[in-house]
Amino acid sequence: MSGVLISALMLVLALVQVTWAPHLQLYGAFPNLILAAVVCMTWLRGPRAGLVWACVGGLLLDLTAPGPLGPHALALLVGAYAVGFWVRNVSHASLIQPAVAAATASGLYSLVLIAADDTLGLPLPPLGLAFQLAAAACVYNAVLVTVSVATLRRIGARRAEPA
Amino acid sequence: MERRTRPRPTRLFLTLCAALLLLAMVSQQPWAAGARGFAKGALAPLEGLLTAAGDRTSQLTSAFGDSSQLRAENARLEAQNADLQRQVAQLQALGLDNQALRQALDFERSYGRSMVAAQVVGRGPDGFSLTLEIDSGTSDGIKPGMVVVSGAGLVGRVSEAGPHAAIVETLADPQSRVSAFLSRSALEGTVAGGPDALQMEINPRFGVTPADGEWAITSGVGGGYPRGLVVGLVTSVTHRDSATTSSARLMWVNDPSVLSVVMVIKDFMAS
Repeated sequence: MSGVLISALMLVLALVQVTWAPHLQLYGAFPNLILAAVVCMTWLRGPRAGLVWACVGGLLLDLTAPGPLGPHALALLVGAYAVGFWVRNVSHASLIQPAVAAATASGLYSLVLIAADDTLGLPLPPLGLAFQLAAAACVYNAVLVTVSVATLRRIGARRAEPA
Repeated sequence: MERRTRPRPTRLFLTLCAALLLLAMVSQQPWAAGARGFAKGALAPLEGLLTAAGDRTSQLTSAFGDSSQLRAENARLEAQNADLQRQVAQLQALGLDNQALRQALDFERSYGRSMVAAQVVGRGPDGFSLTLEIDSGTSDGIKPGMVVVSGAGLVGRVSEAGPHAAIVETLADPQSRVSAFLSRSALEGTVAGGPDALQMEINPRFGVTPADGEWAITSGVGGGYPRGLVVGLVTSVTHRDSATTSSARLMWVNDPSVLSVVMVIKDFMAS
């Protein structure tokens, strides 16, 4: 997939995340489509691609959030870096690994975001509730990434089949 | 062996981290506010298109069944109910035979002549951002600090404004504070924001006790918000003998997850 196509996909995902995704709320959390895309990208195309697209996707999210530009991109970057380590050291065949990696990335993303929002004096729920939301988001994103990776693998396998 | 020769992405990670921290520091400066607002407004038209498409889709799908029609009817009745609740709260406030309150209500009529209606085109990108994005900005006369309301009552305040979009910090922000009074007992206090419910610390007055079912209405004290905007309904009151104040839990009149249109009050600025 070319860079232009991935950029367009990131833009669409960022727009969907701030318009439609909040309506899919479960226990206060809603799917983070950009994070899921970054984890899938890191899993399937390697850590460097993951880091670059984490930066692009995070900046798109920063454009829709209050405060300075950068916190979402930084939080996604940390998540992508952690997934990058995972990718290098585990079997790619299992579907449990991307799920655990997505949950870890989601947790790190939330932690960095909470720290950044707190430092910058931006609105933040009480810490107890923030951690509850972070935990719910971990589960949500893990399920989303597992389904996405399985689908992308199936598409990849179909393309690889001889005609 | 192969793993060792593969370049680690740590250098790229650290470089990007440094660049983003620098960007965050620069974009936070007051002189960068204009450029930041302009950049943030860039996505607003696309968000508006997507929101409109979502609305159209839900309208189309709602034509396919009774349950969808009932949901639409329910939404209409809920909106009507919210409007009636606001009217009840305001009537209760008017019913207080208090000269000072009447004068204050005269003051209330001095704002709200100039309002801008705006569509909600987006929400915060994560569960922590308790914000709304609207499709009007500085080109419509909107400035940071202006008060945002809906048909039901107070929504929040504009925190950032670009040429064609603005970000509204809602009352769900735990840091928000609103001076308010109760519609029947006229007790005053401060409402603190919260994502699930609002909390009001009520200043005591001898012989007067707050009760469930009272409406909290902005008092205008402190100049942060104009007087007379409905904030929420008291659902429970807690009084501790050890504390000097009573505490009430309020149900916010607005549900930010379903707000689609808001109004920005242009002729009132927080003092």
